[in-house]
Amino acid sequence: MRFRGGHNVLLKGRPDSAIKVMPEPKVLYMPLRSERFTFSDIHVKDGQKVNGGDILAKDPDNYSVPMLAPRAGTVRLEAVENHIVIEDVAQREERADIVEEEMLHIEKEMGAGGIKRYKLLSLGAWQFFYDAFTGELPDPLGTPQAIIVSTLSLEPFLARGDVQLHRRLLNFTRGLEQLQSLLEYQPIYLAMPNITSEFANLIRNQIRGYAWVKMLEIPLKYPYDNFAVLARRLDLKAGKGPVWAVRTEGILAADRALTETKPCTVRILSIGGTGVNFPSHLKAIPGYPLKRIRDQHVFEPAARMLNGGILTGSILSEEAQGVDVECRGITVLPEHIDREFLGFVRPGWDRDSYSGCFLSSLRKDFRERMTTALRGEGRPCVACNYCDEVCPAGIMPYLIHKYLYADLIEEVEQARVDLCVECGLCSYVCPSKIDLRTQFVEAKDLIAKEKEEIRQEQLRQEEARKREEEARKQAEENNE
Amino acid sequence: MKWLLKVIEKVRPNFEEGGKLKAFHPVFGALEHFLFAPSAATIGAPHIRDPLDLKRFMSMVIISVVPCVFAAFYFFGLRFLAMIIVSYAAGLTVEALFSIVRKEDINEGFFVTGILWPLILPPTLPLWMVGLGVAFGVLIGKELFGGTGRNVFNPALVGRCFLALAYPKQMAASFLEPSHDVAGRLLSWVDGSTADAISSATPLVLAGRDEMVATSHMFLGSVSGSAGETSALLIILGGGFLLLTRVANWRTVAATIASFFALTAALIASDKIVYNSMPGVFGPAIWHVFAGGLLFGAFFMATDPVTSPTTNAAKWMYGIIIGAVTVLIRNFTGYTEGVTFAILLGNIIAPILDEIVISVRIRRLRSEG
Repeated sequence: MRFRGGHNVLLKGRPDSAIKVMPEPKVLYMPLRSERFTFSDIHVKDGQKVNGGDILAKDPDNYSVPMLAPRAGTVRLEAVENHIVIEDVAQREERADIVEEEMLHIEKEMGAGGIKRYKLLSLGAWQFFYDAFTGELPDPLGTPQAIIVSTLSLEPFLARGDVQLHRRLLNFTRGLEQLQSLLEYQPIYLAMPNITSEFANLIRNQIRGYAWVKMLEIPLKYPYDNFAVLARRLDLKAGKGPVWAVRTEGILAADRALTETKPCTVRILSIGGTGVNFPSHLKAIPGYPLKRIRDQHVFEPAARMLNGGILTGSILSEEAQGVDVECRGITVLPEHIDREFLGFVRPGWDRDSYSGCFLSSLRKDFRERMTTALRGEGRPCVACNYCDEVCPAGIMPYLIHKYLYADLIEEVEQARVDLCVECGLCSYVCPSKIDLRTQFVEAKDLIAKEKEEIRQEQLRQEEARKREEEARKQAEENNE
Repeated sequence: MKWLLKVIEKVRPNFEEGGKLKAFHPVFGALEHFLFAPSAATIGAPHIRDPLDLKRFMSMVIISVVPCVFAAFYFFGLRFLAMIIVSYAAGLTVEALFSIVRKEDINEGFFVTGILWPLILPPTLPLWMVGLGVAFGVLIGKELFGGTGRNVFNPALVGRCFLALAYPKQMAASFLEPSHDVAGRLLSWVDGSTADAISSATPLVLAGRDEMVATSHMFLGSVSGSAGETSALLIILGGGFLLLTRVANWRTVAATIASFFALTAALIASDKIVYNSMPGVFGPAIWHVFAGGLLFGAFFMATDPVTSPTTNAAKWMYGIIIGAVTVLIRNFTGYTEGVTFAILLGNIIAPILDEIVISVRIRRLRSEG
């Protein structure tokens, strides 16, 4: 499959490549929930002193992926709901090593490859890995059919690969080597921007010697960096086994875990969006208090803080106190909405639209100052076909919407709603302001739930049949 | 404009639950949102939206027919203004009644129908017929199907079809020779009773008698015909704008005109259509493209996103069917003009075409991932 659809939303507030080091925090708030993980299995006691790298909690549903303490300090469990609070945080990172005996034990059991995987998981690098098709955490002991590495982040606005790799290019290539050592003959695909920037050339030169890394030059159009889109572009099939996908920060974490046997806690986030005074990148650790970031960077009094990008991120609620372990960037959008007089007849020189309906289409690309406004009223679908044009997955959003409207779940499934990558472009361009993305996410959940129910039902039936058979055998035996 | 917003806020309680004028809430809402953009915000991802909304989308169509509207004033006089007013008044009444009964917002779609409707009518048609036709079109062609976005037929064409079948004599006799003065008829009122209103035959009727009007006249528009369709130049100008804004899809337009031109040329070349006063193949074929309502229909009627197919491949087929059927109706039936019927026929076929393309695409999707 070739790339199709896609659209770059141009708005003000793009983070520049400066990395600001946030001042050391006194208290850390580690959220127990992030996009994929729920750390319900807590391994520390209230008041316990922990070292940096100690396991605070694990997610039992996701291969026991651990949440590590980024710094030494004293644990408070009850202080803030749904958070583990670390007080009296040490100024410098202190490292807790994996216990020697444990290592030996594991090496005996799993071999050299096994210990690498164990290190990845227990040193916090595994959480950066995705299954390209589902977006879930892959099985750390599984064998992938390929690994996709992406240095791109095209969604406005997430931490950029070139910024994260600043002065760490050697770590990156070493990380790739480390990953390769986990594989036998499976390829590693490296997704690169198809531009000739100094940075891109540097990577190209670095990678040139590695025959096992296949370079993929990707046009800089959102969401071509999406792992599911990349996997389909590479003609990888879900039936042939999992495809691991990992971004820049994951490779750096893998390098740190496998080369230095150190936990990866420091990360580079972006802070961007229209509501930020100096959009840039931040060097921070998980659990960093959001309030301090807010005080320092956000100037809008009424602003929506997002965990993640503008098109797919989730709203950071009042409850959230700290940066979660999966956070790739914080985006701030002003909530203030002006009710424009006769807005729809204005020429629109300063509006960036997918369509050509505004005067701005005569302008060169520019960045618009956007807010959270819906910019119109909800209307029935007029079949303008814009959603189909931008859809990177090649499904027909208007059609699925129509089926959902008529409650035809089976047709929705046949129209392959499961291929939706949830990029949010269809909702973005819809002139009728239909919330297509939300509808599709809900439909996918519903279908998954129904399938699960059917599976359970089949299991039950199977069991009942077995029991019946056994009873019959028993009866026959008794008769004899 | 703060004061206006204050007035709106002040009268709002009257139209809300428990207010005296609750039934008119759709009318109030339409007016409010016409004047001021709504204050709604996104609730989840994606957190921003494209500035394009349906109001803007529809106003693009209105802007694109402005040249045709001015041409209609120039050629046929002030009466055209009355036709627009009647069209909007009658159509909006139906639309508002349905909104009130359905308790839904008034949709922007009607503003397009209301301006397109007088443009496809003979210029001296009695005003009561203008009102009746648009009411019929909106009621039968749109509201009975569930309103904007759910209609199968183009409401304006349903109205015209109705008038053509119910009042064929008046429809045929209401054409008017456009003004040939430099000043046009900008200040005069010409209707059926005025002395200089001599019902004049349209180029297509004349062509039936082998009297060909010069192609250049049809290109500029100084020929008899429906109010908005006479000037090919202005239609191409407005239609081009509509294509550039991507409100209309170029595939439909290209397919319609190309298939029309190709089939006409083929028929002339094989002597199935003979024009003694205009020899050659391409001359008469081009003449046919400019004649009657073909261009207006191709640019403004066939491209209606709701009633045309959604998928791009189906749009090609749709355009080809419209172009070909127009040729057949024009040349081989009792009707001299066939665009209305051809597009309505296309509207009927559109869902089937979509179905075909969608089933192919879904079959292809099945093997994915």
